[in-house]
Amino acid sequence: MEELHLPPIDYAAIAPLLLVFGAGCVGVLVEAFVPRAWRYRVQVPLLLAGLVAALIALISVADKRVSTAGGALAIDGPALFLQGGLVALGIVSVLLIAERRVERGGAFVAQASVVAGTDSDRRQSSQPGATEVYPLTAFALGGMMLFCAANDLVTMFVALEVFSLPLYLLCALARRRRLLSQEASVKYFLLGAFSSAFFLYGVALLYGFAGTMSFTGLREAAAEAGSEDTLLFLGIAMLSVGLLFKAAMVPFHVWTPDVYQGAPTPVTGMMAACTKLAAFGGILRVFTVGFADINLDWEPILIAVAIATMLVGAVMAVTQTDIKRLLAYSSIANAGYVFTGVLALSEEGVAGTMFYLVAYGFTVLAAFAVVTLVRDADGEATHLSRWAGLGRRSPLFAGLFTVLMLAFAGIPLTSGFTSKFAVFSAALGADQVTLVIVGLISSAVLAFPYLRVVVLMYLSEPAEDTPTVSLPGVFTSLALVIGLVATIGLGVVPGPVLELAEQASSFIG
Amino acid sequence: MDGYLGGYASLGLLLIAAALLFVVAFGANRLLSPRNPSGAKTTTYECGIDPVPGDWAQAQIRYYVFAYLYVLFAVESVFLFPWAMVFDRPGFGVVTLVEMGVFIAVLALGLLYAWRKGVLRWT
Amino acid sequence: MTPTYYLVLSAALFTIGAVGVLIRRNAIVVFMCVELMLNAVNLSLVTFSRTTGTLDGQIMAFFVMVVAAAEVVIGLAIIMSIYRTRRSASVDDANLLKY
Repeated sequence: MEELHLPPIDYAAIAPLLLVFGAGCVGVLVEAFVPRAWRYRVQVPLLLAGLVAALIALISVADKRVSTAGGALAIDGPALFLQGGLVALGIVSVLLIAERRVERGGAFVAQASVVAGTDSDRRQSSQPGATEVYPLTAFALGGMMLFCAANDLVTMFVALEVFSLPLYLLCALARRRRLLSQEASVKYFLLGAFSSAFFLYGVALLYGFAGTMSFTGLREAAAEAGSEDTLLFLGIAMLSVGLLFKAAMVPFHVWTPDVYQGAPTPVTGMMAACTKLAAFGGILRVFTVGFADINLDWEPILIAVAIATMLVGAVMAVTQTDIKRLLAYSSIANAGYVFTGVLALSEEGVAGTMFYLVAYGFTVLAAFAVVTLVRDADGEATHLSRWAGLGRRSPLFAGLFTVLMLAFAGIPLTSGFTSKFAVFSAALGADQVTLVIVGLISSAVLAFPYLRVVVLMYLSEPAEDTPTVSLPGVFTSLALVIGLVATIGLGVVPGPVLELAEQASSFIG
Repeated sequence: MDGYLGGYASLGLLLIAAALLFVVAFGANRLLSPRNPSGAKTTTYECGIDPVPGDWAQAQIRYYVFAYLYVLFAVESVFLFPWAMVFDRPGFGVVTLVEMGVFIAVLALGLLYAWRKGVLRWT
Repeated sequence: MTPTYYLVLSAALFTIGAVGVLIRRNAIVVFMCVELMLNAVNLSLVTFSRTTGTLDGQIMAFFVMVVAAAEVVIGLAIIMSIYRTRRSASVDDANLLKY
């Protein structure tokens, strides 16, 4: 056995992580000691302050390229860029989660396990929602940031669970339609635990193959391996199952529509933006640092996965009648587009992927913000037929949603166009012509459901019971404005952010 | 007592003795004790409280919370063992001690939260 | 020491767990099968730690145990709350979310 040494830790480099986790821990203390009436007023500024401080810390260490904590964490360009993206998207998500004006008491229930329909359930329907969601959000975001920086399989597994476990709980806390929400949570949990068991078996096999857990060690061992090493290939396959599940790629996508529909809408937004970003951060590192040298062995299968993802996501989106499920399938198809950038296996591809993830995150958060606003007496009206004629009732929000839909469809001058252009041109640079052709076909198919929503909003007569658009509170308005500005800004002047992504696109081994 | 299966004879003797003991003890009990059956005697004994009808009576949710807390904190202590093996070696020192202190503080935070939420009170 | 036996046992346990997740209906049993899969992985990790002569596998096994405990608590909490609102822990009864 080797000699043990205490690994030095570069605290400046991991300060952003510590700040977010610290905000979560202080949040737990607030839950324990601050009187109930004050908790909301303390938790929201606390979490936002923690995230802003993390963003400032990230900017101050932006030039660092170190591997710290005994090689467990790599604070390199992609890690810092993705962490920055996560914190920025996290702030917008927290704004949505903190909204309490649209729905009285917020989108979250006070006590999730009270039997539905009983007296205590009716009593709590007028109470403000649980404030535990803020520490949970902080832990989830911290876990995602850790996941993007994890440089060995142990850290990656721990980070995966740290961000998954709070998300399972957040899914179950919807105020309205609680059975749906709990069902979404239990589905997400059982399938998530199942997939992380596969991830873990992959870790064990890779460890047995290489005798080390670090990605650099794996890369060296894989370069020497013959092309018939069972442990290596079985390990990569199992590891990929876990990662592709979190990224919601076909055939590991079936949980996505159910969970997106059942979870409280702000949490759905966070999952679509932040979880997707974190999952692809991990995928980028595994495939470009760990296994890039043996890409000929696994690339064909993953190209097939990407093609299936783009096609299934787009085709299924056409048949949806619920706006949240539609956005879920669109997020599956978008995962396929992001994956074309990963499969380019070049620095250009890494930069394109990272830009796509951030741009898509802002757009999807703004879209879910609009979904939280369209309401009738039963809460959010998510069925598409209820959106008919919304353009006449409230032209402002219908117009806003139209811009977001056009961005999803990839119309020029929106971030959807520039980000698709970035990943597809990277894929072309790596001679992945098939992927690009399928991507373009899939985008064309996917434009149909988006435009159908737009047509539905403007060209249909509003019915008697067409839901109204609630007046958003300060938080949702802010989130909407940020999302919209980012969507149009990254479409009109993508230069600065793209440049930043290109500068940050090389991993340290 | 010799031969191929001779070694098993003592085992057989033991089994017979055990069976006899069982039969004699219960038989004596049956013969000597007064018998006066009544309805109350045949019910399940539950600490003097009348048993709840049906076998699907729900246990108090608090018990689950205790089990949860136990599982979490008992298992987290697994990290203390490897730490205890190395923390006094040269080159580890105060930093190691402080780091474990931080780890335990984070765990204690969870316990503190549980305590303030009142789930530790046994009523 | 022949690691093959341990690895085959681990693979068998993992498979039993995976099949259990797919065919059992009670959420608690499904969940126990996931735990079986995690522990099968632990067996592999410790075996590989022995064969490769490194400590990482044992450390990983510790982390897996702790994460599994955290997962148990979260999972049972979710299943408990769904049981309280619905009076059933069968995964077939959770059927509100469909196409």
